[in-house]
Amino acid sequence: MVLPPNVSEADFNAALDEFRSAVGPAWVFSSDEDVALYRDSYSIYWGEPEERVASAAVAPAKVEEVQQIVRAANRYGIPLYPISTGRNLTYGGSAPNMRGSVVVDLKRMNRILEVDEKRAFALVEPGVSCFDLYHYIRDRNLKLMLDVPDPGWGSPMGNSLDHGAGYTMAAFRDHFAAHCGMEVVTPEGDVIRTGMGAVPNADTWQDFHYGAGPNVDGLFAQSNFGIVTKMGFWLMPMPEAFLTGTVTAPRFRDLDALVQEVSYLEDLGLTGMPQYGSPAGQAALGPGAGAMASLMQNGWPSTEAVENFVTAQKRPAWSVQLYFYGPEETVRGTWQAARRRFGKAIAGATFQDGEFLTLPIPKEKEPTQSDKPRLGIPALEVFNMVARNPQTADDPSDGHADLFITIPRKASALWESARVLYEAHREAGMPARQSPFATPFTYYSRCFWTGTTVPTWRDPAKNARSRALFQKVMERCAEHGWVGYRTNPAFQDLLISKYSFNNNSLLRFQEKLKDAIDPNGIISPGRYGIWPAKMRKNRV
Amino acid sequence: MVSRRRVMKIGAATVAGALVNRPVPGRNPAPAYSAFQRAVFDERFAQCRAFAAELNSAGVLTSAIRGDVAELWYGDLRALMSGNRLAVAGLTDRVSLFCLEELARDVGMRVIFRAEHIIDREQDGHARHSAVGSASLVVVARSLPPEDDFGLAMARLFRRFDLSEARDSAAQKRTGPFSPKNKTALVSWIIA
Repeated sequence: MVLPPNVSEADFNAALDEFRSAVGPAWVFSSDEDVALYRDSYSIYWGEPEERVASAAVAPAKVEEVQQIVRAANRYGIPLYPISTGRNLTYGGSAPNMRGSVVVDLKRMNRILEVDEKRAFALVEPGVSCFDLYHYIRDRNLKLMLDVPDPGWGSPMGNSLDHGAGYTMAAFRDHFAAHCGMEVVTPEGDVIRTGMGAVPNADTWQDFHYGAGPNVDGLFAQSNFGIVTKMGFWLMPMPEAFLTGTVTAPRFRDLDALVQEVSYLEDLGLTGMPQYGSPAGQAALGPGAGAMASLMQNGWPSTEAVENFVTAQKRPAWSVQLYFYGPEETVRGTWQAARRRFGKAIAGATFQDGEFLTLPIPKEKEPTQSDKPRLGIPALEVFNMVARNPQTADDPSDGHADLFITIPRKASALWESARVLYEAHREAGMPARQSPFATPFTYYSRCFWTGTTVPTWRDPAKNARSRALFQKVMERCAEHGWVGYRTNPAFQDLLISKYSFNNNSLLRFQEKLKDAIDPNGIISPGRYGIWPAKMRKNRV
Repeated sequence: MVSRRRVMKIGAATVAGALVNRPVPGRNPAPAYSAFQRAVFDERFAQCRAFAAELNSAGVLTSAIRGDVAELWYGDLRALMSGNRLAVAGLTDRVSLFCLEELARDVGMRVIFRAEHIIDREQDGHARHSAVGSASLVVVARSLPPEDDFGLAMARLFRRFDLSEARDSAAQKRTGPFSPKNKTALVSWIIA
């Protein structure tokens, strides 16, 4: 049995008894096999003393029970780690941030409290999954589209609070930006509602973010200042139609112009999340893999060598797929305007019409629909795609830890970051798969994300190598000002140490808040580097 | 990947929508007993189809998937398992079990047995078997011959399984979702 740090077995058992009184004995889990359910399947410390395993779990069904749990935890100094569905694998999953914490599993708080079709919002509890909300909307034929992450088994609330993202229009796929109003149990057991939720009888909680005075919602994302128990989300009205189109650019140097034009469409709100690709680079991974190996054999190639490589491949250097949502006249007109602009900016650009769909997708056609998340349909198919990756090794990893960095939305930053990632892998003695044909993730419309995926294992020796690689990459990228926007709990202290302006004044400010709001330090100690005063010596 | 699910009804004796074990009188060569309320199989694989047919003949409702468990889980399996917490058996690929194991936490259930059958597509489809969990199953599963129809063998083994057997938590969360290169990793499993 794992105990919380600095808590006696007697106090721990007394706390569990109080939890049982609050939620009922059936909803407190303390046996080894029950607690093991909360292990992080992708842990990069699997089986090691540093693995973030829980001491117990408790599953409240209502806000009052959360308050009782929090108050009991304060009495006994029990660290709590709330999860909504706990399925954000690679970022810790259902395991706590600190070993020995009690997981507060909010799965029983799974009510969809309101979905307003005309005002296009939803108000949900933490245990509502994207699938649940999707089915609710679909089954009632509400003309609303969800923006879902992929895989879609998590909750809108949890994904939003972890700054997760989806695939449709920028205003909706930034899930935290699309939230409106929350209810929070504070570390001392009070209940607050943000924005217009603080006004008795107001019917605008999910309509207006701010209310009056400081907006505190951001304090409850990627943090440890409270347990969010309700959250509102703005939803996209169901578009009448969906259209895709693909643009290609022939030369390697065309990426700059391609990014400029895509950004123009994004910033005007005319396309959903663009999907960049590199036909030349992709071809080289298949039958032309030898050509790519030749290109990279002497280290990072010159731009001239890359241009020659593209010419030899006889394929465009770059592609981007665009996704249009709206009335048919609008999506077709936007695609036409986009073609005109790309054609003017990029000599030799080509265009391919893609799929046209009228929405909503009938239920019976959902199973055969490709790229479901683009249509707001949650899915788990991404696991199949990854699991059947032809590059999967003879000894496949058991999971992965993602290291994505935020870089400026421009070609030069993408190329430079790809080179730095490549060099960091080589310095760490690990295979470097990066090439000049790296393409960005565009979940957040105003920046690019790029990075690497580090394998995790059930084997401690292999995990040690993965951790060394992760740290090497993070350190090298940070030298250029490229850091992650979220990370696995094992690396949160390291990540936050890179946000070091003015002697880490941001973290020092957050710690002052922590000490004031959570004096006993019971909520998620160490989450994103914010430790309570009594535990700051634990910081890595 | 196309996702769909079919529930194979158990002959005329089955009431549509009934989600309990119903032995079929006069059809079962073995005693009409099964510990399982449902068997999940991936219909893309012959071994999985044989597994399902055998358990179906024992009166177990079977659900077909094609690599994606989402429709099955959110369609009815979650509600079913949440309601009665009766065991579910399966023969699927790794990724399906991986997802089901994570999802089953919501209903307080866990993998108590798993046998991996690693099929080498470059060696006549011979399978290498390993197993962990419930002791009576492990012994037999590990000794399955490589050329055997392990789907049928595992189903017959499961038909005789006594759920009151002591549990071994070692079966929980053994691997990730990924299959080895050029191999198919199928898994026989019990979630209880």
